[in-house]
Amino acid sequence: MKRGEGRKDTGVLAVAVKDLHKSFGTQKVLNGICLNVATGETLAVLGRSGTGKSVSLRIIIGLEKPDSGSVRIQGEEITGLTIDELGSVRLKMGFLFQHAALYDSLNVAQNVAFPLLHHKREMSKSEQADRVQKLLADVGMEGHLEKMPADISGGMQKRVGLARALILEPDILLLDEPTAGLDPISSGEIDDLVLKLQQEHHMASIVVTHDLHSAKTIANRLALLDDGNVVIEGTFEELQKSDIEFVREFVKHS
Amino acid sequence: MEARYSLTRFGAKSLLPAAIVFSVIHETGPIITGLVVSGRVGAGIGAELASMKVTEQIDAIEASAVNPYRLLAATRILACILMLPLLTLAADACGLVMGWFAQALVEPLSLHQFINSGFKGADFNDFLPPTFKTAIFGLIIGLIACFQGMRTQGGAAGVGRAATSSVVLSSLFVILADVVLVKVILIFFP
Repeated sequence: MKRGEGRKDTGVLAVAVKDLHKSFGTQKVLNGICLNVATGETLAVLGRSGTGKSVSLRIIIGLEKPDSGSVRIQGEEITGLTIDELGSVRLKMGFLFQHAALYDSLNVAQNVAFPLLHHKREMSKSEQADRVQKLLADVGMEGHLEKMPADISGGMQKRVGLARALILEPDILLLDEPTAGLDPISSGEIDDLVLKLQQEHHMASIVVTHDLHSAKTIANRLALLDDGNVVIEGTFEELQKSDIEFVREFVKHS
Repeated sequence: MEARYSLTRFGAKSLLPAAIVFSVIHETGPIITGLVVSGRVGAGIGAELASMKVTEQIDAIEASAVNPYRLLAATRILACILMLPLLTLAADACGLVMGWFAQALVEPLSLHQFINSGFKGADFNDFLPPTFKTAIFGLIIGLIACFQGMRTQGGAAGVGRAATSSVVLSSLFVILADVVLVKVILIFFP
């Protein structure tokens, strides 16, 4: 059985964000944002820099606390949870950081194996190594297991980060600008990879990106943020047809 | 050698080995070890954790459902607590050998004679409390360096600030703690 095949859609939303507010000092970043993602669905969150896309993602995985609002992961409210209570929720999620955030003292294979070492202690070393090798092969990094993060390119680091995000077979995948800073070919490869992995693992995904082309390729729905709130949510075609000035400008310049 | 000159002036030259032994094991060894570790290890921990913070590695640990405070901070603090007394023993040994060496340069004296004379009248109360008070120094150094490192913000400049503040604050608090601990030791081990 392929990974993800055993997952059932229970009718509960994978991620439900409601009326989220967040400020840093006097700067208001999120102003009542609402997002819903169902199991197996991919939502791309677009918007200009500083509109709170990455902050939303960090709140969803509990790295930031919102000022007010609700975040439910598979029905469970997480905004009031402590760091230890968040642990069990985070096991259901994989997070790809914008700059990959690989541990610079560990090599590629050790980076990917890190969550396994802490959460799958019942697995033998050889089973863990097999899973790491298979996942690194899936992301096209099979020949680079022993390399250190500093010795591989930005695109390769993103691939390793993606493998690390997937190693615990999460139900929800959060991707923070997976193609930012990459050349068009590497961006296309990452898009194809994300698409392939989503189809294989049937995960709910939220992809934060500036790249409309990438969003169109990998997402079922797109949400465009401005001023800390969702301006429009829908398919790429619906965004194209929108008569909202900001949406038309964004689509035109992307 | 300076102490020898002063003691000779007051006719107390024979007390020199004991003066060296007591000053080293009571105060010089522990406090110098505390300050050296503040500078070397405090800066290292502060800079390493700050670097991990600004490159989102600590966030990545947390996102992997691992508690970064337990993984990164608790282990380093524990290591500081355990290692400071051991390093103090090494510092005491070096201090005593160098004290004997300085003494032997101006007046022939075997190490055996120096140790016998120096430790005459000394007991475990002179040795254990000052050595183990450095575990508190280790706790202070570890806590401050981890706190400064893990709350860093602002890229490379933030890493530099974390390293500097780790050294300055941990050195300062080690000296302050020493004053308090000496008083406490004198109360419980008069």
